[in-house]
Amino acid sequence: MANTPGPVQDIEFTLNGDPISRTTSSRQLLVHFLRDDLGLRGPKIGCDTGHCGACTVNYNGKVIKSCMTLAVQADGAEIDTVESLAGESGDLDDLQESFRENHALQCGYCTSGVLMSSKFLLERNPNPTAAEIREGIHGNLCRCTGYVNIVKAISAAAHGDKGLALIERLNREHAEEAGI
Amino acid sequence: MLLAPVDYYRPDTLAEAIEALDSTEGARPLAGGQSLISILKLRATTVDLLVDISRLQELRTIEVADDGSVRIGAGVTYDEMAMSPDLHHSYARLSQVAAHTVDAQVRNRGTFGGNLCHNDPINNFPPLAVALDATMHATGPDGDRDIAAAEFFTGYFTNALTPGEILTGVTLPALAGRHIGYQDIEIGEAAARAVAVIGTSNGNIESASLALGCLPIPIRHPAVEAALAGAPATAEAIAEATAGAGEGIEPISDADASADYRRAMASVVAKRAVMEAIEGGQHG
Repeated sequence: MANTPGPVQDIEFTLNGDPISRTTSSRQLLVHFLRDDLGLRGPKIGCDTGHCGACTVNYNGKVIKSCMTLAVQADGAEIDTVESLAGESGDLDDLQESFRENHALQCGYCTSGVLMSSKFLLERNPNPTAAEIREGIHGNLCRCTGYVNIVKAISAAAHGDKGLALIERLNREHAEEAGI
Repeated sequence: MLLAPVDYYRPDTLAEAIEALDSTEGARPLAGGQSLISILKLRATTVDLLVDISRLQELRTIEVADDGSVRIGAGVTYDEMAMSPDLHHSYARLSQVAAHTVDAQVRNRGTFGGNLCHNDPINNFPPLAVALDATMHATGPDGDRDIAAAEFFTGYFTNALTPGEILTGVTLPALAGRHIGYQDIEIGEAAARAVAVIGTSNGNIESASLALGCLPIPIRHPAVEAALAGAPATAEAIAEATAGAGEGIEPISDADASADYRRAMASVVAKRAVMEAIEGGQHG
């Protein structure tokens, strides 16, 4: 905020379950506020144009892109970032564990956003098909293009080994169709 | 990217919002922000005061009237449209379009009214409003007024609202047995888009409305509508009637698709939209 002169606002909101009370510049983006003022490193700045989803956070129960929202708009809201997923001792939650087991990340830059979108998807639709998973993470780009393992990890988190088998069968069918 | 310095105000009522928007020339309403924040990042426009209307309850309802018409508040998000049982029952195709707009994050913030007011040629709702003869409800310092959808869109990224005025909601007339076809060609966001609203009777097209998007202003196509009216509801007749959809239109030309390509695709999406509407009628 020190670098953003101009009108300011006082805001109060809940971040990962904790009450926050701060002053922010009216022109500050939520992602900058979370990273620079509050020191979080989960929400990433990828494209800064609302396309890549690396900055995805949960806002009042729904995922949003924090680079397309002003920090002042957080006032009165409940915001959860990827930091809310793991337990206090660092234990991964089921979805994170499934990402680890299925090697659903390479460079990891998109991962916090993908995790937040996946969590939102599974809350709404606990039994997603492969197509529904792909639609659910449509707003998150992985520049390593590791989508196959991301979809696998989300399916496994939802359906266990059954989901894994389903995705592996679909992948085999796709490969056969493509003559690979 | 850092926005230029701007003030922010979140009114509790629509009246307070209008007062604030009327207070200075540089005031603009901020709803979902999924277009406006981008514009402000690019510093493509100057805004002194953002009036946050995203939490105004007056703008956030979907009401289905007894006659089957639907009023959608300007501040209703795409996700709320997609998840509304009322809208699903009365205007299923519209909730499907909302459910597939961009991505989950944008659907959770972006609003119906914002999509219409922004009037980007590739936005999905302006041609729908025009095809349906929707009524746009506006409120401003001089009171309320209704604007026909055909008069609302005035040019690239512009609309008929006057300074200080905001769109509060849109009324879509009852479909009354007609069916909607909505088709686009997805290159970039969309290279071509057509919306058809078709009524059929005894295997013939009884009423036809056809609007095209991906143009500076979404337009109806009277020549195609005239060719469709009374034609048999068959693939051959529809192909013939929609063949001229690209004539007399001036599509946008950009990195996603040239104007010539978009013009050539106008008849393709027009035919598909009319076919979809007719198939919707046959299935229920």
